[in-house]
Amino acid sequence: MSKVRQNQKPKSQGFGLWTLDFGLHPNTAMRVTANTFSDSLIDQLNALSTRQQRLQNQATTGQRIQLPEDDPAAMERVLNLQTEGKAVAQFKSNIAHLTDMAQASYGVMTGLKKISDRAGELATLADGTKSPADLKLYATELTQLIKQGVQLTQAKFQGNYLLSGTRSDQPPFALGMDANGNVTSVTYQGNESVPESEVAEGVTLSSQVVGANGSGTGPRGLITDSRFGADFFNHLISLQNHLLAGDTGAITATDRPALGMDEENIVAHLGNNGAVQARLEASAAIASSRGDSLEGRVSKEADADLAQTLVRLSQTQNAYQVALQSGAKLLSQSLLDYLH
Amino acid sequence: MLGLFGILNLGAQSMQVQQQGVAVAGHNLANVNNPAYSRQRITITTSSTLETSLGPQGTGSQVTGIQQLRDVLLDRQITTETSVTGFLEAQQGALESGQAVLGQTIDRNGTQHGIAEALSDLFGAFQSLSTDPTSLTERQAVLQKAQTLASQFNQIDSGLNQLKSNLNESLQTDVTQVNELLASIADYNKQITAAEAGAPGAANDLRDSRQAKIEELAKLVNITTTAQATGAVDITVSGVNLVSGSTVADTLQTYDAGGGRMLVQTQSGGAPLPLTSGMIQGTIAARDGGLKDLQTHLDTLASALIAQVNAVHSGGFSLTGSTGANLFNGTGAADISVQGALLGNPALLQASGVSGAVGDNQVALALAQLAGAKQGALSNATFSENYAQTVASLGQSLSTVNNSIDDQSVMQKMLASQRDSIGGVSLDEEMTNLVQFQKAYAASAHLITTVDEMLQTVLDLKR
Repeated sequence: MSKVRQNQKPKSQGFGLWTLDFGLHPNTAMRVTANTFSDSLIDQLNALSTRQQRLQNQATTGQRIQLPEDDPAAMERVLNLQTEGKAVAQFKSNIAHLTDMAQASYGVMTGLKKISDRAGELATLADGTKSPADLKLYATELTQLIKQGVQLTQAKFQGNYLLSGTRSDQPPFALGMDANGNVTSVTYQGNESVPESEVAEGVTLSSQVVGANGSGTGPRGLITDSRFGADFFNHLISLQNHLLAGDTGAITATDRPALGMDEENIVAHLGNNGAVQARLEASAAIASSRGDSLEGRVSKEADADLAQTLVRLSQTQNAYQVALQSGAKLLSQSLLDYLH
Repeated sequence: MLGLFGILNLGAQSMQVQQQGVAVAGHNLANVNNPAYSRQRITITTSSTLETSLGPQGTGSQVTGIQQLRDVLLDRQITTETSVTGFLEAQQGALESGQAVLGQTIDRNGTQHGIAEALSDLFGAFQSLSTDPTSLTERQAVLQKAQTLASQFNQIDSGLNQLKSNLNESLQTDVTQVNELLASIADYNKQITAAEAGAPGAANDLRDSRQAKIEELAKLVNITTTAQATGAVDITVSGVNLVSGSTVADTLQTYDAGGGRMLVQTQSGGAPLPLTSGMIQGTIAARDGGLKDLQTHLDTLASALIAQVNAVHSGGFSLTGSTGANLFNGTGAADISVQGALLGNPALLQASGVSGAVGDNQVALALAQLAGAKQGALSNATFSENYAQTVASLGQSLSTVNNSIDDQSVMQKMLASQRDSIGGVSLDEEMTNLVQFQKAYAASAHLITTVDEMLQTVLDLKR
C-alpha cells in the first residue's frame, strides 16, 4: 500500500464519492492508525487466548479430540474402536460365565466318577464268595449311591439345572422308588440341546452338558448316551436288582461291562471339560490381548501428546504475555505526551 | 493592489480557513472510535486573484470542500465478504447447536453418554442375556438398556425439532431486521439526496452512517448496491430491487414451504428469493443441510433397529411360553419406545428360540449378533458403524465451516485493515494537523494585529 500524501488531489468517482489515487511505490508502509493497532492487538490476544484455552483443555483432559468437529475422521475411528472394545469386554464376561459353568459341571462329573468307581468296586466284590446277606448290603449301598447320583445331577448354576439341556427349569432326572425304598427307575426330563454363547465375533461355545442323549446326534449325554453304550443310572439299577436277587452271574456278565462303558463315558466328559476350559482360557487371553491392542489404538487417536501439548501451552502463554506487555507499552504512547 | 482593508480581510479569511481546519480535525478526533467513520479533510485552495499593475495578486485562501477519504471498491469488497462471513457464522452456530443436541463426545476420563454407548450397552445386555436367558436380572438389564437407547433417540429427535423451530424463529427476526434496515437506508438516501442537492459528495457523515447500515444488511442477505447520480444507493437482493432511491420498493417475508421449512420471499412477488449468502441463507443451509441430514440418518438408524430387533424378537418365546410380541414400538427416532408389557414383566422378553425350553438362548444370541450384522437399510454398515458415520458427517460439516471461517476471518481483517489505513483516524496525525492549523491561525491573527497597527499609524497621520 502506498503512503497517503497529505496534499494529494482527490479523484472523484462521480456521484459525489471520493477516493484517493494510490500508486504502487516500492518501500512504502501501510498507514497505521490508532484503531488499526488496537484492533490488531485485540485480534492477536483473542487468537492467543483461544489457543491457550484449547491447549489447556487438552492438557487437563489428556485428550486431543472431544467433539466431532475436533477431528471427524478420528472421531469415527474412535467410536468404532470403542464399540469393538466393549464387545471384546463382553466376550470376556461371557467367557468368565462359561468357565464358571464348566467348573460347576466338572464338580458334578468328579462326583459321578466317584460313584462310578464305588459301583465298580461293588460289582467286583459281588462274586460267588459273598453271601446273599452281603449282597443285600451291597444293594442297600448301591441304592444310596443311585440317590446320591441323582441328587448330584440336580446341581444348579445360577438358578438353572446344569444337566437338563435347555429345559433348565426342570430337574434333569426323576427318581422312581418302590415300597421298599429301592430305586426302580430314573427318568430323564431334560432335552438334548445346549445353549451356546459368543466368545468372539461369530464364534460360539457351550460349556454345558446334557444329562442324556438317546437321539444319536448332538451333544454327548453325561449319564446316558446310546452312541457310547452309556446308561449309568439304569446300569446301577440293574446292578442293584441283581444284588438284591443274588445273581452274581448277571453282575459279572452284564453289569460290570456296562459300568465300564459308563465310566469311560464319564472320563470322556471329564477330558472334554478340561479341553473346553483350556479353550476358554485361550479365548480369554486372546480377548485380553485384543482389548489391550484396541485401547492402544484408541489412545493413539484420541489422547494428546502431553509433552508436546505442555510445550505448546508454555509457548502460547509466553506469547500472550509478550503481546500484553508490548501492547500496554505501545498503547500508552502518543503525541499527546509531548505536546505542551 | 490589496489595500490595508484588503489585507485585513485576507487575514480574517485565513483565520476562518484555519478554524475550519481545526473543526474538521476536531471532528475526526471526536470520531476516532467510531468504526463507521471515515476521516475527513478540508480542501484549501487559493482565492481568486486580483489584477494589479504588478500582475495577478493573490487574495489568500478559501475552503472549497470537506472531502471524505474512502475507497468505494474496498467498501464493496467488504460488503461482499461481510455477507460470506454472516453465511458461515450462521451455519457454524446452527451446526454447533446440532452437535450439542447430539451430545456425542469422547471422554477418556469419565463416562460417555451418547447413542454409541447406548447401542453398545444394549447389545452387551443381549450378550449377557444369552449366557443366562432365564435370569430376570439380565432381562431387566436388557429392558433398561433398550429404554435408555429409545429415550436418547427421542430426546435427540425432539431437540433437533426444537432447534429447527428456533432457527425458523431466528429467520423471522432476521427478516424483520432486514426490512428495518431497508427502510433506514431509504431514509438515508432521502437525506443525502436533499443535502447534496447543490453540493455533490458533501453529506460525508450521512454516507458513513448509510455504509454502516449497508454492511449490517449485507451480513443478513447478499446484496448488490448501485450508486445513483443523486447520491442515493439502490439495493437489490438476488436481482430483486428492494430500495430505489428514497423508496422501499419491496420488503421480505418468511413463508412455510412445507414440512416446517421456512423460506424467504418478497412481499409483493411471492416467489421464493434465491439467496446465496448472508446469515439468513446460512441458517437455511444449515437447517436444510447438515441438521436435516443428521435427523434423517438418526431416524433411519432407529427405524432399522426397530425393524431388525422386532423381526428376531417376535419369533422367540418368553419364560411364560408367549410369542409374537415386539420388543420396540414406533417407527423411528421420534416415537421408538419399549413395549410397556415387557417393561412391566421382564419374563415376557422372548429370549428362547424353542417353545417350552426356557434355557434356550437362540433369540437372545441372534439379537446380540445383530451388533455385527451389516444392514442393507444402512448402506451395509452395522448399527454402530452407521452411527459413527453420522457423527463424523456432522463433525466434518462443522469442521469445514470452522476452517472457512478462519480463512474468512483473515480476509475480513485484511480488508478492514486496508480500509482503516485509508479512512481511519490517526490520533498523531490529527494532533499534528491541529497544531498546524493552530499555528496558522495564530499567524493569521498576528497578520490582523499588524494591519491594525498599520491602520492606526495611518489614522495617527491626521490629528
